[in-house]
Amino acid sequence: MTEHTVKSYGEELNHLTAEVTRMGGLAEAQVADAIECIARRDGPLAQQVVARDERLDTLQAEIERKAFKLIALRQPMAVDLRHAVAALKISMSLERCGDMAKNIGKRALILTEADPMTALTRSIERMGKLVQGRLKDVLDAYTASDLQRAIGVWGRDEEVDEHYNAIFRELLTYMMGDPRTINPCAHLLFVAKNLERIGDHATNIAEIIHFELTGEEIISQRPKLELSK
Amino acid sequence: MPMASPLPQTRSDGSGATPVGVWAAVLVGPGALLALALVGGANPVAAIPVALASGAAGLLLARRALRKPDRWTAPAPVPATVDQPPPFALILETLPDPLMVIAAEEADDLTGRRFVFANAAARELFKLQPRGGLLVSAMRNPQVLEAVDESLFGGLRRSTDYVSGGAQGREWVAHSAPLGVDARGSRLALLVLSDETDTRRSERTRADFLANASHELRTPLASLSGFIETLRGHAKDDVGARDKFLGIMQAQAERMARLIDDLMSLSRIELNEHIPPLGQVDLVMATIDVLDALAPQAKDKAVAFDPILPPRGAAMVEGDRDQIVQVIQNLVDNAMKYTPRDGVVRVEIFSGLTADMAAAPRDPAAARMSLLTPDHALEERYASFRVTDKGPGMAREHLPRLTERFYRVEGQKSGERSGTGLGLAIVKHIMNRHRGGLCVESVQGEGATFGVYFPMAKAVQGPSASTPEPVGRALS
Repeated sequence: MTEHTVKSYGEELNHLTAEVTRMGGLAEAQVADAIECIARRDGPLAQQVVARDERLDTLQAEIERKAFKLIALRQPMAVDLRHAVAALKISMSLERCGDMAKNIGKRALILTEADPMTALTRSIERMGKLVQGRLKDVLDAYTASDLQRAIGVWGRDEEVDEHYNAIFRELLTYMMGDPRTINPCAHLLFVAKNLERIGDHATNIAEIIHFELTGEEIISQRPKLELSK
Repeated sequence: MPMASPLPQTRSDGSGATPVGVWAAVLVGPGALLALALVGGANPVAAIPVALASGAAGLLLARRALRKPDRWTAPAPVPATVDQPPPFALILETLPDPLMVIAAEEADDLTGRRFVFANAAARELFKLQPRGGLLVSAMRNPQVLEAVDESLFGGLRRSTDYVSGGAQGREWVAHSAPLGVDARGSRLALLVLSDETDTRRSERTRADFLANASHELRTPLASLSGFIETLRGHAKDDVGARDKFLGIMQAQAERMARLIDDLMSLSRIELNEHIPPLGQVDLVMATIDVLDALAPQAKDKAVAFDPILPPRGAAMVEGDRDQIVQVIQNLVDNAMKYTPRDGVVRVEIFSGLTADMAAAPRDPAAARMSLLTPDHALEERYASFRVTDKGPGMAREHLPRLTERFYRVEGQKSGERSGTGLGLAIVKHIMNRHRGGLCVESVQGEGATFGVYFPMAKAVQGPSASTPEPVGRALS
């Protein structure tokens, strides 16, 4: 990165990155805990996840305010502008991830009241770990400004989709087999969908990082799977 | 900050004194801490480097003493040079536990929190530059950050759990402790991570083992006791029935034995999963050995092998030979099971691939799934082993679940010598320990291909790779 003549300008930019990284850590923890409370049927943890979402919202608002202020007062150009915009966009993606984790937490609260369905929650946990790994990778890429790593995350989206499709079919089988499982299975379906969306946000963040670092969009087409019927 | 510029110069002359220094610091730790609490009040600046060392040693001592008392009860060896101060910087640098010193000025200034020192273990864990940087670039776990804040601004000692991600996730306890204020008025805190992976994992593995064993052993056990009952009852004098039942009972007992073997080996592998294997293995040699060993079984089943292998030594990989043999054996064994009579099992080895090439699909029409992807490492080269059968194949929806314990693809019979349902789970855990990958491709009705890939041994990648290699690691 080039040296700035006004030192505090560079500091302000760094500050923004630091805030986004911290917010990323929080979002990661929320997603991890959300998966944990599904896997271990942990009601109190689920309540914590739901309650903690507010902190992410506050952080996001703060980052947004700071990014706007920086753009308005410093009028950054080229890489600095991309830097500020990337912080803004990534914080929005992370805030959405947090919302999704909160939603999983809410469903976990309902699921703890139903009978345990270990086979299904194991599949969800497996998918969750995968999504969690992608989120971690993309945030590592952001803090280290590592383009290759970001591209790596971007190219591995179909794994999550495969898991989602497999869980979708599995849930259908359960629901057709025993109508009493429809209620918990419907919730698990939304949990899986939320995880898949978090995975999409990780891909999205990878695209933002690519633009931030190179100034170009990723153009080539990613392999996409057909949707589940 | 004396600690911020550690070791290149001390390393050259201080290496001989290191073990002595560590012993001395650990034994002196708590006393020094107590003394320095008093001194530190009067002269905080001078106290920092020493307090730092003794603080770290104290934390470590407390932990070690709890876990392995016998190792520390031996009398302390007398240092060869008592009058020289031990090289504290070197002690901190060589400690096996990741350790960082964090500095900050104001509570609401995020960029103010930086690490001013990180020892070798910490730099390795968080992939850091030695010259210091923002704390969040190393650690963004909210609980750990909170603990550090409380040490920095509240003067409290805190401990919190921390899980470092990645394919071989490790579990840590993060200890933070206040270190006072330095010459420039920055507040300092110490952050030490201690590895709890072994303890936690063995607890969990034990629980898993019991749950799996009790559940899966119940079926053969029920069948055994059923036959025993019959043999003692109305089949008592029926010679034909007795022979038949005893045959079934033996098969069931063997199945139970196989199950227990597999469960045990899975537990063992899981316990060591975070410890990278030492040693180098020739993938080609290992494959030839396995194929030779399986030849009699293949002959019985009228299955032929079609090996396409590079010359010996072309695919040297980093790994544990026994475990690599187990991977190859499980995969070839599986392929044999699903291959019809007079079929062919193709075995291939490729070397010098990047991770993307190793995981790339070969048949674009096939359903493909990566069951294990190694952590991102750009310059790593892989050797891949693939085995292809012409069996019934699997539908796409089964692929993500193949490595689950006891998962079975519906409607598939794996032959009279039925498996335990743990083979692929074992393969996956071994591959994860080896920092490798596992992928599967399948077209329903036409067969399946399983591929594993291992990081290649470093010496093979370049003739002079042994010396510059650690530098590359530190930078990555």
